[in-house]
Amino acid sequence: MSQTMKTLTMSALIGAVGAAMATFAVPASAAEEAAMEKCYGVSLKGQNDCAAGAHSCAGTSTVDYQGDSFKLVPAGTCTSMETPLGPGSLTPIERGA
Amino acid sequence: MPSLSEVQAAFSAAIFDPAAAPPRGVVGPDRRPAPRRFGVYRNNVVSALGNAIAGSFPAVRRIVGEDFFRAMARAYVLAEPPISPVLLDYGTTFPDFIAGFAPAASLPYLHDVARIERLWRESYHAEEAPALAPDALASVPEDELPRIAFSLHPSLRLARSRYAALTVWRMNATDEPVTPVDISAAEDALIVRPGAEVEVRKVPPGGAAFVTALAAGETLLAAAETAQAADARFDLAGNIAGLLAAGALRDIRRA
Repeated sequence: MSQTMKTLTMSALIGAVGAAMATFAVPASAAEEAAMEKCYGVSLKGQNDCAAGAHSCAGTSTVDYQGDSFKLVPAGTCTSMETPLGPGSLTPIERGA
Repeated sequence: MPSLSEVQAAFSAAIFDPAAAPPRGVVGPDRRPAPRRFGVYRNNVVSALGNAIAGSFPAVRRIVGEDFFRAMARAYVLAEPPISPVLLDYGTTFPDFIAGFAPAASLPYLHDVARIERLWRESYHAEEAPALAPDALASVPEDELPRIAFSLHPSLRLARSRYAALTVWRMNATDEPVTPVDISAAEDALIVRPGAEVEVRKVPPGGAAFVTALAAGETLLAAAETAQAADARFDLAGNIAGLLAAGALRDIRRA
């Protein structure tokens, strides 16, 4: 499994393919999942919902177009998720890239 | 009298420019210009497109919160209205838009999370194809192995990030509570739909270079060397096993 190849020789490549094949000979999943960690497939909720009825009236206000000043800052889960750069702030702050 | 296409072009331009006056000829029952009526129509168009974006990027939406997302989506809709009548395709450029969107600069990983969501959808709607059987390589004579190449699964997508975008996406793709994340660890995500479900995997070191090289048609040997050069930790056996297990390969091509 842990072969460090300085130059990739043909025998090393053949050995690697053999080792890869061997992981499928073991019945369970541990070996094959080790190389790439499978997350999962997340179904998007309501992906095919037709929301036409819902938004036919939702946009009746024209207020949105009165001004273009963008004062909002992110305020969702980012405020509790980030650590190294500090939790998300509710005021715009400078952060290192 | 303007032609129909001229009328349509003027109408369309006025929709996506909130400062623009209503198009000529838009009148109420009294035959007088109807800016408020046009405002309602304009707002409905922008609102509906914003809903499409909201539906396509649920994790980004959760990360920044509803208010911020709505405002950002509106800015996107006005800046980059659809160029295709297929609503499914709308939002392809949203990740790039976020990358250049100043109010989101405090979340440098956000556009990479958006990219995962975009590629997830591409993968979901990609062509159906059986994946290469894991034991198919066993039928290749050993002396031919270095020269074989692969065609990759049509649903395969690669999302690379300088940040822990995959972890952030995973945590926000459901309604589960979030926990602190060290976003400084670079993560590459392999997205593939071998069957009915889109599956997302974390790519091991050098794996992204390996997949990219294979996608470009390089032979197994050349791609392995490319990956080795990209990251000394590259583990060929583990990567081949991982790609086979993921269903990321479609066919073996012999030189």
